[in-house]
Amino acid sequence: MIWLSPQARTAIQRTLLPILIALSAAIVVLGKADQLVFESARTAVTDAAAPVLDAFSRPLRAVGKVVDRVRMVVDTYDENTRLETENARLLQWQQTALNLAADNQQLRGLLKAVPDNALSYVTARVIANSGGAYVRTVLINAGSDDHVARGQAAITGEGLVGRLTEVGNRAARVLLITDLNSRVPVMIEGSHVNAVLAGDNSERPRLLYLSAPDATKVGDRVVTSGEGGVFPPGLPVGVVDALDPAGPRIEPYVELSQVGYVLVVDYGLAHSLPQPVQVPARPGKRKSAGEDDTANR
Amino acid sequence: MALKVFSIPALPKVNNGAARLLPVATTLLAALISVLPVQIPGYAALTPVFTLMAAYHWTMYRPDLLPPLALFAIGLTEDLLAGSPLGINALLLLLTRSAVLGYRRYFVNRTFPYVWTGFTLLTGAAMFGLWALHCVLDLSLLDFRNTVIRAALTIAIFPLASFLLGRAQRSAMGAG
Repeated sequence: MIWLSPQARTAIQRTLLPILIALSAAIVVLGKADQLVFESARTAVTDAAAPVLDAFSRPLRAVGKVVDRVRMVVDTYDENTRLETENARLLQWQQTALNLAADNQQLRGLLKAVPDNALSYVTARVIANSGGAYVRTVLINAGSDDHVARGQAAITGEGLVGRLTEVGNRAARVLLITDLNSRVPVMIEGSHVNAVLAGDNSERPRLLYLSAPDATKVGDRVVTSGEGGVFPPGLPVGVVDALDPAGPRIEPYVELSQVGYVLVVDYGLAHSLPQPVQVPARPGKRKSAGEDDTANR
Repeated sequence: MALKVFSIPALPKVNNGAARLLPVATTLLAALISVLPVQIPGYAALTPVFTLMAAYHWTMYRPDLLPPLALFAIGLTEDLLAGSPLGINALLLLLTRSAVLGYRRYFVNRTFPYVWTGFTLLTGAAMFGLWALHCVLDLSLLDFRNTVIRAALTIAIFPLASFLLGRAQRSAMGAG
């Protein structure tokens, strides 16, 4: 450590706090003005912290399991009755589904329909959440090392969770559909009414810009519409839970605050999107609009 | 908010290296704990502000061992991990230091209710400030309810945090 006279040390201590306060405020403003400025710092820190968070979050998963198990033991009788009823109902559905699948296959054959793109899945564990009232994101323990890329969809068996916004080597951040900045093109299943699902940091996001505002009713299923090309059409999102003049509220199928694992799915759509991070024009330098102009001249 | 500069009070010297690191280590741990995915419905939005508790405790009792630069670094780390706007937690922790040093003499070496009252006032101001700042950054009027619940949880958990930090402090540094 550099030796300083006590006077110098006191002087530094006196001025350091206001300087750092001003610096923090400047960083907040700068980060707001250009979201990409600190992108590499974010991915670097999350990458470095991923193993630690991974280790810390494992016991929590175990605690969650114990709580679940206790709850299950308590509810066994009711749960069993419910499951028996549900099973009988699902067996009927299974028959219907089998019939429909056979029909569908025949009709597809007649139409010479192109099959859906082959998908590749990566299963990842949630290792951190955003811990606060103002952001809804989670960190997962898969990154570009696992061939995960920005823009891909994160889903669970129940439905859509969100999409990947920052991808490091070992960890990636998922913007949940409930985040204030999340906008997902969706449609009401059946009626094909298009809308945008807009998060507002609450548990239940809203439907905005409905193409037919009065046609929606409580209980309608909401699925992705595939518009804009981020998500494929037909991913289950949630059900309309309440009608509100400002826009119907959706109850997501996925219990977002309890997601432990997600599937990161590559639908082969991410490359069709304009990449948010611009390709460097010269090594080590970000391309700006001005450079674009000079390149065209 | 008191932005005046206050000189740091003279405190008994701690020579043990590990003990000197305790305030920084516990505050960093608080930052890590606050991003852990606890699977309780609704928990993520209401996570208590653990770093605020650690910053308050250490600035109250050992401001010399939790310097502004450490608060700045821990705040930035928390922002990067949580995905919140960068600089916001750093600003919060540094302003906490500034406020606590300014009003320290009213709360230090008093009974716990005084210390807790000080923390309650600080948390109220800090959470309102955070909410207002996020409203400005997001250009929208954000729901205030979660902020109130989060502040209440933070205040409610503080006695436990204070007890644990106090125990760690006494065992590492002796009564001080």
